[in-house]
Amino acid sequence: QGLKPIVSTESPALIFGTTTKLASDLPATDSFLGQNKVPDLQKLFQKADGLPVHLKRGVPDKLLYRTTMALTIGGTIYCLVALYMASQPRNQ
Amino acid sequence: MAHQAHSYHMVDPSPWPIFGAAAALLTTSGLIMWFHYNSSQLLSLGLLSMILVMLQWWRDIVREGTFQGHHTPTVQKGLRYGMILFITSEAFFFLGFFWAFFHSSLVPTPELGGQWPPTGINPLNPLEVPLLNTAILLASGVTVTWAHHSITEGNRKQATQALTLTILLGFYFTALQAMEYYEAPFSIADGVYGSTFFVATGFHGLHVIIGSSFLLVCLLRLIKFHFTSNHHFGFEAAAWYWHFVDVIWLFLYMTIYWWGS
Repeated sequence: QGLKPIVSTESPALIFGTTTKLASDLPATDSFLGQNKVPDLQKLFQKADGLPVHLKRGVPDKLLYRTTMALTIGGTIYCLVALYMASQPRNQ
Repeated sequence: MAHQAHSYHMVDPSPWPIFGAAAALLTTSGLIMWFHYNSSQLLSLGLLSMILVMLQWWRDIVREGTFQGHHTPTVQKGLRYGMILFITSEAFFFLGFFWAFFHSSLVPTPELGGQWPPTGINPLNPLEVPLLNTAILLASGVTVTWAHHSITEGNRKQATQALTLTILLGFYFTALQAMEYYEAPFSIADGVYGSTFFVATGFHGLHVIIGSSFLLVCLLRLIKFHFTSNHHFGFEAAAWYWHFVDVIWLFLYMTIYWWGS
C-alpha cells in the first residue's frame, strides 16, 4: 500500500555500467587497497525485486530500519509523555 | 514495464524524512529536559536516532547514484544547486555571529571598560596557535585541490594520499583548537567577549568536524572505486564545503583573533 513503486524498477541491462571510465580500468593500480566491487553492487541494487532502496540489501537493512523506527517512534511517545508531565503545575 | 521518458530521479518511498523530523523533535525536547530537569535520556535518544537517520539516508543516496545510476547530468545539476544553496545558508548563519561580534566590539559599553578587548580579558596571541591553524587550513585547501586533480586525471593512488593528508590536517586543526579551548585564560561566561569568541569559533569548529567527516566518507568511497574521473560529485560537494570552512576561519582569524585583540 503505497510502498510499491509505480514505475517498474526492472532494467534490461545495467543503466550505469561502464559508460564512464572506471578507476579500475587503469593499469598498475589493481590491488592498491582492494578490488573494485562496484559492478557487483550495481547488479545487486538493480535487481528487479520491487524492494525500495533502503531495504534493497535484505536483512541488515531491515534490522537497521526497524531499530531506527523503534528508537524514533518509541522516543516520540516518551517525549510526549515527558512534555505532558513537565507541563503539569508544580505545587511549591 | 514503463521506463521513464525523462532524466529526473523519482525516488523510492523512504522513511528517513519523517524519522529525521522525529529525531529533531527528540533532540530539541531532549535539550529542554537536560537544561531544566537534568535528564539526558531524551537527548541521547535524539542524537542517536539523528545519527542513524543521517547514515541511512546518505547511504541510500550513494546506492541510488553509484549503484542504480539515477544521478544523470540533470540530477547532478540539481544536486549542485542544492549544495550551493545549503552552503549559502550556512554563510548567513555565520554572518549573524559576526554581526553580534561587531555590534559589541565596535561600540564597547562602559560595563566593558569602554574598550575592546574588555577590561580584564587577555586575548589569545593571534601570532601563536591561531596562525598555525590558519596555515593548516590553507594547506588543507591545497591538498584537497590536489586530490581533485588526481581524481580527474584518474590517478587513484595520488588521490588517496592527497585526500588522506587533507583529513589529517583537519584533525590536526581540531586537536589544536581543543587544546586552545582548554588552555584559554577566559571562558564563554566571561561577558560578551567570551560569548562571541566561543560561539563563533565553536560553531566553526563543529563545521570543521562535519567537513572532516564528509571528506573521510569520500576517502572511503574513493578507495571503494565509487568515483570516476568525470563523475565524482560527492567529492566536489565535500571540497566546496571544506573551502567554505576555510574561508570562514580566515574571516574569524582576521576579525575576532587579530583585529579584536
